[in-house]
Amino acid sequence: MQSLAYGFIYRRMNTPLQRLDPRVKLLTSTLLFTLSILADRIVEATVIIGSVLLIAGLGRVLRRLWGTLTYTAAFALFIFMINALTLWDLTSAVVFTLRFVAIVAATSLFFLTTPPDEVYNVLRWFRLPRDVVFAFATAIRFVPLFILDALQIMDAQKSRGLEIEGGSILKRLRNLIPVLVPLSVTAFLRSAEMAEAMEARAYGATARPTVMEVLTMRGEDWVMAAASTLLFVAALLTF
Amino acid sequence: MQTDSIIEFSRVSYIYPNGKRALRDVSLSIKAGEVIAVVGENGAGKTTLVKHMNGLLKPTIGTVRVFGLDTRGVSVAQLSRRVGIVFQNPHHQLFAETVEEEVSFALKNFQAGEDVIKSRVEWALEFFGLAEYRTASPFTLSEGEKKRLTIAAVMAWKPDVLVLDEPTVGQDFNYREKLQQVIRQLREQGRTVIIVSHDLEFLWPLQPRTIVMARGEILADDRADRVFTDGRLLTEAHLRRPQLLELWLRLRVKPERPFTSTGETVSWIRGLHQRGGEGG
Amino acid sequence: MPQSIIEFRNFSFRYAGARRDALRGVNLSIQEGEVVALVGPSGCGKSTLLRSIIGLIPHMYRGEYSGSVIVDGMDVARTPVSRLATRVGYIFQNPENQLFMFTVRKDIAFGLENLALPRHEIVRRVDWAMKTLGIEGLADTPPHELSDGQKQRVAIAGVLAMKPKVLILDEPTSLLDPVTAESVITQVKELHDALGITLIIAEHRLDLLVTIASRFIVLDGGRVILDGPAREVLGRPELQLIGVNIPAAAWVDSHLRSGEELALTVDELADRLNNRI
Repeated sequence: MQSLAYGFIYRRMNTPLQRLDPRVKLLTSTLLFTLSILADRIVEATVIIGSVLLIAGLGRVLRRLWGTLTYTAAFALFIFMINALTLWDLTSAVVFTLRFVAIVAATSLFFLTTPPDEVYNVLRWFRLPRDVVFAFATAIRFVPLFILDALQIMDAQKSRGLEIEGGSILKRLRNLIPVLVPLSVTAFLRSAEMAEAMEARAYGATARPTVMEVLTMRGEDWVMAAASTLLFVAALLTF
Repeated sequence: MQTDSIIEFSRVSYIYPNGKRALRDVSLSIKAGEVIAVVGENGAGKTTLVKHMNGLLKPTIGTVRVFGLDTRGVSVAQLSRRVGIVFQNPHHQLFAETVEEEVSFALKNFQAGEDVIKSRVEWALEFFGLAEYRTASPFTLSEGEKKRLTIAAVMAWKPDVLVLDEPTVGQDFNYREKLQQVIRQLREQGRTVIIVSHDLEFLWPLQPRTIVMARGEILADDRADRVFTDGRLLTEAHLRRPQLLELWLRLRVKPERPFTSTGETVSWIRGLHQRGGEGG
Repeated sequence: MPQSIIEFRNFSFRYAGARRDALRGVNLSIQEGEVVALVGPSGCGKSTLLRSIIGLIPHMYRGEYSGSVIVDGMDVARTPVSRLATRVGYIFQNPENQLFMFTVRKDIAFGLENLALPRHEIVRRVDWAMKTLGIEGLADTPPHELSDGQKQRVAIAGVLAMKPKVLILDEPTSLLDPVTAESVITQVKELHDALGITLIIAEHRLDLLVTIASRFIVLDGGRVILDGPAREVLGRPELQLIGVNIPAAAWVDSHLRSGEELALTVDELADRLNNRI
């Protein structure tokens, strides 16, 4: 059952793209993101999306990226409708929609090609406060467990005759209580146990904890960083 | 299909969406009044197996019949009326404002009459020694009391089959002894009890029919004394032999059947020395 | 006379808002290198006692605190937990909630990073801890891919890397199957033998501890009621009355009253009975 909850987590792949320094991946995604915001023609937005898809293809995450994009399709459609109706200009509406898709794609690209521990490494490299980075790490680490708890709670309550589906809105809301209360209690107990374990491993002992895993740029990292920057500048000039 | 079996698995396989096989071609027949232990290491498929008994999981291949009904065609709520599962973690269940409310929850879901609810709740609270906490919040109880409460909450609707998932984890001797008594009483009443457990010392005195699982398969389904005597089976399934059985196997002079309780062991040994006399 | 590494002096504690004391008038002295089993029925105060050693009581759990607890010469009430954590390692019951990071290596380094040790020292200690527990192969594995037994080992490695003098294990095997439980306890004993670490293990499953613990401390209702070697303590009739899971072999032998030393394991009991016949 654990595997279900972990289904959406990053899957380790060994392509040259994944092996890049996470800062370079972040740089590339950020540049694409910036271009997405600046794009104001259909051609520009399409080129950006195309670039993202190409990179995704190289990183073998194309299918997962496509999956993410289809999830946002409904919202994209919504954006299209709103813009088409308020601006009464089809072209602009398409641009806004494509811009949205490009932003989502650029952001997803980073998270699809960078495992949580590398994201963590980048955050620490930025010297963000320990608490902030730790909160982020903990969320990623424990959200799947939280989901698992929710599934187990629903199983337990269904076994006591609770009907999760069906019935009036009021009934459905009332039926949430036997799920939400145990979920809150479980989450609370888990965080209490975690707090104890953290204390017992000297969390907060000093203001500047050491970083064990140091990021180092290799040849290919510099090449990619340079390429991304050059293409970014080129795009800025031509757009 | 045997007509007197109340739970029947016919060549059941359960495959997760990601392709993992949690149950492989399992066939099993359970009759009324049996006490059954399901043992094996974590991940062997024990919990997956019992979740098929009240319809929480439906088989990917094969059929599960509970009291003659194919579980695919019946809701979990319906099946739960007859097969009650008590899960391992009480915090996955407790939610009510009072202990009383907690115990009556399922009965209300099953739409039992006011009088029935009242009398069943009374009975369950008394039987499990929780009457004094009737109006207390379930969250103020000790861990052992919480576990008792979760069993009481399930027994309140008197299911024909009671399934206990790891009931003795972290519990002391007093709780374990009480639970053994409860199981014996249920057996006398003709109810079926299925216990998923690692706690072989707890299971041994009950002498249950023992189903050994590993990697989603049933390696053995036999009497406890036969199962736990088989050394190779124990190794393959990551199990340990209960101490009293190990002792019986090691003795040069011993009774015909293995000891099933410490009291029995002491009596026999004392008897032996009286019979054989002291001597070096 | 060797100085004790842990000392409880007339220590009592009541959790805030509780109706009765969790621990009452506890006097204990634990020497360095001992292997102590801490047992008692549910609610007897085992966890309270253990938390009082690492300082979670009183620094994290508020309440009425009287008497004192001295660990490696430091007064627990006046020493921050982070400092005590360099002397006392604490392994909790649930392996899941004590692994925070995305890979085993990162997790073992967690405590060392917190202590702001220099990088090369952290790397050295992490490698050493992984080697000692035999988990080098898991270095880059995320915690959700580990089995429960492996998770406990990683937790132990993470604590061991901080080079504590005392290792506390609070019901470390509750959630493990019997075979895994035994291998974890055996490995912990090996750590003691190799490094001289003091072990304090709270457990319900005494059969795992009878062969490794030189001393059994029994708590009931917040008081220490028995304290001595296994063979003395496990034969006492009070034990079963209060709800302790006495291993079957020891229980049987204690009732046979043979006058000899108490048999603790099936092997010992079987040998004795076979020789008598």
